[in-house]
Amino acid sequence: MREEAGIVTRTTGPDEGRAVGVTTSGPAKNRPTPETSPPAVSRARRRSVFHPFVWSPAVVVLLVLAVAWSAVADAHPYLLPRLGEVGAALTGDPALFLTNAWATLGIALVGVGVGAGSAFLLALLMSEIPVVRRAVMPFAVVLNVTPVVAITPALVVAFGFGMTPKVVVTAIITFFPVLINVATGLRSVPVPVLHVFRTLHASRWEVLLRLRIPNSLPYTLAALRVVLPLSLVGAVVAEFVAAGSSGGLGTMIRNSASTARLDHVYAGVACLAAMGVLLLALVTLAERRLLFWHESRRSTRA
Amino acid sequence: MTAGIEVRGLTKRHPGARPDRPALQDIDLEIPHRRFVSLIGPSGCGKSTLLRILAGLEGHDTGSVSLLGESPRRASRRKAIGLVSQTPALLPWLTVRANVALPGKVNRRSGKEVDPPDELLRAVGLEDAADQYPHQLSGGMLQRVAVARAFALRPDVLLMDEPFSALDEFTREALQYQLLGLWQRRATTVVFVTHSVREAVVLSDEIVVMSARPGRVHEVLDVDLPRPRDKDIVKGPHMHDLEDRVRASLQRAWKAGAAPDDLVPL
Ligand SMILES: Nc1ncnc2c1ncn2[C@@H]1O[C@H](COP(=O)(O)OP(=O)(O)OP(=O)(O)O)[C@@H](O)[C@H]1O
Ligand SMILES: [Mg+2]
Repeated sequence: MREEAGIVTRTTGPDEGRAVGVTTSGPAKNRPTPETSPPAVSRARRRSVFHPFVWSPAVVVLLVLAVAWSAVADAHPYLLPRLGEVGAALTGDPALFLTNAWATLGIALVGVGVGAGSAFLLALLMSEIPVVRRAVMPFAVVLNVTPVVAITPALVVAFGFGMTPKVVVTAIITFFPVLINVATGLRSVPVPVLHVFRTLHASRWEVLLRLRIPNSLPYTLAALRVVLPLSLVGAVVAEFVAAGSSGGLGTMIRNSASTARLDHVYAGVACLAAMGVLLLALVTLAERRLLFWHESRRSTRA
Repeated sequence: MTAGIEVRGLTKRHPGARPDRPALQDIDLEIPHRRFVSLIGPSGCGKSTLLRILAGLEGHDTGSVSLLGESPRRASRRKAIGLVSQTPALLPWLTVRANVALPGKVNRRSGKEVDPPDELLRAVGLEDAADQYPHQLSGGMLQRVAVARAFALRPDVLLMDEPFSALDEFTREALQYQLLGLWQRRATTVVFVTHSVREAVVLSDEIVVMSARPGRVHEVLDVDLPRPRDKDIVKGPHMHDLEDRVRASLQRAWKAGAAPDDLVPL
């Protein structure tokens, strides 16, 4: 994201001259109308991504890494598989990887749904009822600093080898960042705006619905940006611990490693990386759609 | 003449502040309904505090406050108070039109009718910007949206805290006339905080000069310029007289108050 900034500024710069303190509505007409504004921005971004100036450094690094990888793989075939082998593993049996990736993704997403969803609800309660905040926060912090990997075996014992322990692990990992971020977003409402609501005698519910929740949206999405990749970590760790059960990339990687099928191990890792990128892309898409009004979306064009 | 705003013996101490220097001390004010009154005074004399008390956002220690015969809280319950602050305080995720419509959306139990947003936006010259979002507007346009939102309620009392202070002089002047136009048609009581002597004279029927530490009403000056005010009236010699009188009064008010503790000695 960050490295795009310079380009984005250049491509959208000229028509963004922001005139402060102008009384006529003239300058407004030059700017994109709201319906077209977000697509216009993303079009500019997409164009900039295809520009060689943007992608060539990454491609150069990729080539260097590939060459280094091949050199190591040729010298020590038992440490690293050749890239061709990994590719062959992926194309040879795509269904195997797809089903396992699907199983892991399912666990990760259900875990995020449960963890982030309950964290969101709890943050709402905390913002409205201070007692809840004082009651819950210490435990949330303790839960956060406890290495979840350490309790995973216990969870497997408690919930068996099914989906439940994996979902619980993922939910625990994703819970805290969402709780903290949403709680901050709900609280950090500009005082002048709050004053306007209060002189209108808006109810708490109205303040929550019309002011606090929309205001917390950037914070919520920032939390999801952290938490969605984390959910993959949670799912894979849980699969490692509860291996030998059903499918999932974690199970597959573990089994392949124990039978020295390095090509399968790295193919699984590649799938996980691709899934992480996919999840991040989804969050970015959501941010573009929902946060067109927020500073974080505009800072590069200001 | 019906009493618009009545303040009697009002004293306000902020928690934790020096007890011998209340933010407001023995404030007595009587503002007839449908008057335009400006508050002016040195920084820290409690103008914003007084406005927040009138808006029912803060309590006070002694004395009484009434807006059209009721407490600020009750007045806000029936959405009788409009508020414009120094920053536009708009919701960035709503269009300009939706922002102006906001007062009608909350506290529906008050049963108060609000004006259609497009009509108000036309009155402040922003009908073309109705579908835009706040981040696409300039500072002056945003402040006009905030004014339109406050007028949408047809408030009995309109409280404005330095609404134009962040704008350049010409924008400011244009917005002053726009505000006067709206006020003339909708006849509400306005309390307008400003640091600009000229702005106070151009807009007001009465100017309340305050002194600081403790915050008190120093003097109330009448502005006997005819209405509606236009550029010719505002250019006349009487205008300068009035400005000089307000300046002199401000100077006396400045001397009357204790020197601020945080002032850097020259
Ligand atoms: N929340 C608060 N807590 C404690 N003291 C406060 C608080 N708000 C204001 N004060 C004090 O009350 C006094 C009046 O403040 P106020 O903001 O009303 O002044 P003002 O006349 O609006 O000044 P300015 O012209 O600079 O805006 C100041 O001395 C300030 O330090
Ligand atoms: Mg102030």
